[in-house]
Amino acid sequence: MRGSIGLCLLLLSGAVLSHEMTPTYPKWEISGVDDVKKTTMRLWNSREDVRYYEIGLFSDDWKPIPFVTAYRILPVGYLKEVKFDVYITENNIKRARYICSLSKLRSSNESQTLLATRICSKFK
Amino acid sequence: MKKLLIAMSLIIGATPVLSADIDGSVESRCTVATTVPGIYGNPNAYTLTTLPASAGQVPVIRFDTTLANAYYAQITYPTSFSSSPSLSDNVTWTGEVTLKAHGESGMSGYQAASTTTGAMRSYPLSVAGSAWFQSTSVAVYGGNRAFPGGAYKAVVLAECVAQ
Repeated sequence: MRGSIGLCLLLLSGAVLSHEMTPTYPKWEISGVDDVKKTTMRLWNSREDVRYYEIGLFSDDWKPIPFVTAYRILPVGYLKEVKFDVYITENNIKRARYICSLSKLRSSNESQTLLATRICSKFK
Repeated sequence: MKKLLIAMSLIIGATPVLSADIDGSVESRCTVATTVPGIYGNPNAYTLTTLPASAGQVPVIRFDTTLANAYYAQITYPTSFSSSPSLSDNVTWTGEVTLKAHGESGMSGYQAASTTTGAMRSYPLSVAGSAWFQSTSVAVYGGNRAFPGGAYKAVVLAECVAQ
């Protein structure tokens, strides 16, 4: 029964408004700069209501970790994929556990519950 | 000579057999999708609710995963307005996150296996496939006073966090 409901919801959902980030388990690589490592992430946006995603790097206990990327607020067009590099100094690598992308929402004049989506990959 | 010519023609005419391997692997990934947007109904002057009985609409979020045991789905119902008219009194927030539907039979135990921390409910996504979750939200203005007129917005946060 529940499976049928799920299938109906899937079929009725119409436009897919989704957010995806890969890889799930990124790895730090050589960046070409001494004492700095980098990783490359891929972000896919099929949320028509979202044009920007905020990138964050966090420790095990969700404390922010310093990092560098081209844009902290990353513009990602509708139905577009963006690859972005994140750079970190070697002394912060051990503390860095999660890299996350958070959707930035636009305002409107309707009383509603907006949906913010966040996807976090993990450094193992 | 005749045999040599036959052998040469066989070699020249033979169709080369090339093997073409197709390699692939399923990458672990999680997709979070808005299936139904949330809308607040206003059954009385001091209440905003997503319950359909009060002309609201409960937001539904779909999580798709390609590998089992790779992600947690974490959904947090609102505990404040992200935008609203100026409010001089407190707002009491309640909400509930539940599994609405699932695409695989092994997901039926998701609700029982979930844990809560404050307004957030966390589900270990132990089966690959699609699962739908809903998050209700009710806001009651302090002392049953009327909400000032205007647009009210609150944010449901849906997260997919790698395990």
